[in-house]
Amino acid sequence: MTIHLRSSAVRALIALIFVLALGALFNAEGAFFKWDTHRDMLRHISVFGILACGLTLVIITAGIDLSVGSLLGFTAVLFALLSLRLELSAWLAVPACLAAGALCGCVSGGLIAKFRIQPFIATLAMMVFARGMAKSISGGQKITTAILRPDGTYHYADVPGVFAFLNSKILGQNIAVVTLIFLLCILVCWIILSRLRWGRYIYAVGGNEEAARLSGVPVAATKILAYGLSGFFCAVAGLCQAAQELQGDPETGISYELTAIAIVVIGGTNLMGGRGGIGLTFIGAMTIGYLEKILSINAVGEAGRLMLTGAIIVGAVLFQKYRK
Amino acid sequence: MKRFLSLVLIASVASAAACRDAGKTTSEFEEKGRPEKILTIGMSQCNLGEPWRVQMNQDIRTEADLHPEIRVIFKDAQNDSLRQRSHIEEYVSAGVDAIIVSPKEAAPLTPPIAAAYERGIPVIVLDRRVLGDRYTCFIGADNKSIGRAAGEWIVGRLGGKGRVVELKGLMTSTPGQDRHTGFREGIRGSEIEIVFEADMKWLEPDARKEMESALARFDRIDLVYAHNDPGARGAYLAARAANREKSMIFVGIDALPYEGQAYVRQGILEASFEYPTGGKEAVLAVLDILKGRSVDKEIVLPSRVFTTKNIDAGGEWITSEGDTLEQDR
Repeated sequence: MTIHLRSSAVRALIALIFVLALGALFNAEGAFFKWDTHRDMLRHISVFGILACGLTLVIITAGIDLSVGSLLGFTAVLFALLSLRLELSAWLAVPACLAAGALCGCVSGGLIAKFRIQPFIATLAMMVFARGMAKSISGGQKITTAILRPDGTYHYADVPGVFAFLNSKILGQNIAVVTLIFLLCILVCWIILSRLRWGRYIYAVGGNEEAARLSGVPVAATKILAYGLSGFFCAVAGLCQAAQELQGDPETGISYELTAIAIVVIGGTNLMGGRGGIGLTFIGAMTIGYLEKILSINAVGEAGRLMLTGAIIVGAVLFQKYRK
Repeated sequence: MKRFLSLVLIASVASAAACRDAGKTTSEFEEKGRPEKILTIGMSQCNLGEPWRVQMNQDIRTEADLHPEIRVIFKDAQNDSLRQRSHIEEYVSAGVDAIIVSPKEAAPLTPPIAAAYERGIPVIVLDRRVLGDRYTCFIGADNKSIGRAAGEWIVGRLGGKGRVVELKGLMTSTPGQDRHTGFREGIRGSEIEIVFEADMKWLEPDARKEMESALARFDRIDLVYAHNDPGARGAYLAARAANREKSMIFVGIDALPYEGQAYVRQGILEASFEYPTGGKEAVLAVLDILKGRSVDKEIVLPSRVFTTKNIDAGGEWITSEGDTLEQDR
């Protein structure tokens, strides 16, 4: 497996280098060579990358989680509601949101492991349900710092410290806090997958579920754990999203699951399960992030972007196959 | 004697009049306090994903609450033309007294709306058009003239020249196209240079990403024109993260009370151009029709501009819009 991982990583890196070369070529009058461009790319891709972390665990179990975008939206709204409306302290609001995300993930996992609903269906249901919850708790409107007074005028609350912190840049304005959170999520997933027994279980369940069951792997618990962690990472992403938008938008995160899946697949984690790793997902996130950034700084039209992104996803995946 | 007779006469006339008045008052009282029949209006909204459409429903609800004789049923088509088609058919078979519809698309919704209209049910079409003329009344604002007004305002604000970033809405949608072409007409002849344009698909996070690219490429940007207020706010957040928000002006469109108007009040945007929902006007049109009064086939809603200077005075109406509109069609 180590050899396989290494070669997958090399192939994923070649795709990334190819994209970087494109950036050096189409550098938009030197904008690509400024650190700010790279810092902004890292900030932008972080939320997608955090979603992809949880999704990697799920995909290694041979599952899929379509609900990540909606759960991000739900937890973003919940976070805004708790901090901006109810004015709870961050020490309560943040754990509450993380728990809500993890709980939703565990519900999906429970449906899949205990009731044997296919992951695609169970998480599709959660995707719709969570979007409904986001709209329900927000009343269909954005939760902002503007608070309506009874006399019809608005009062503008201060942005809570936790929002300002998550939206800030540190180390001499050189790296966004959300990027560090993304790197932390990568580290947590790496520890789970390569240092903990549960990580081996995740690979075992995805590789051959029946064999894993016969060898005494707690298959149901492993699946619930994977989906629960995915829900947890969605909540982390939701907190980052709300902080960056300075509001809870019930529509935020629509179709983010597609970008997150693309990140995992471009990295080289196999959708059939049992193979892949979090390092690959990191490379995948960089590839998609740089691709979007290069298209953006060159102000490429929307139609061209969609076609180029599609072509590069196919190209990268074919490249992985071809060299195998 | 004469005097007595005249007194009797006056008394009888007065009492007769009093009786008639009394009769009138009771019947009027019945009409107002306890309406004989509550009129039902069916409202079909194409989707409630956009805050602007949530606001439209809210405007309808607020106006309808002022009239106890009407009741409004709301349905959300969730961006599905065929689901919206079923809404119209359901309202027709339920026998509602009037239908308000804000259609998703013209072609699939023209036949059901025409069918309802031909069954004698008044149909008010809001915001987006249907084909032909088989509906009772169309109410909407004009994106092109709003875009043009924004362009003209920007030319005035920048003194005729400057470097502008245009963050466009979904360019496959007519509002995006109209807010773009109107704007370009508005700035025609000036020395304003569009240095960067990108499609942010109406989304704030996308606007922030595109604006970061614009900031990376250009050291001087004078103004950002975004096709909606969340787009302008996303650009502001990007500029603020780069400590450059004070060196440029942000202008948006839509001016919802708790969104664009709030951003202007907070000083995030310098101006936002209202795109009115027409919810209130639709309810008033329905009431007129049901009372037998005639309404115009086409009502173009006037629009306001809210700037940091006039926001407390309730904005300023955009003038000469009607004239230019007529010339366009």
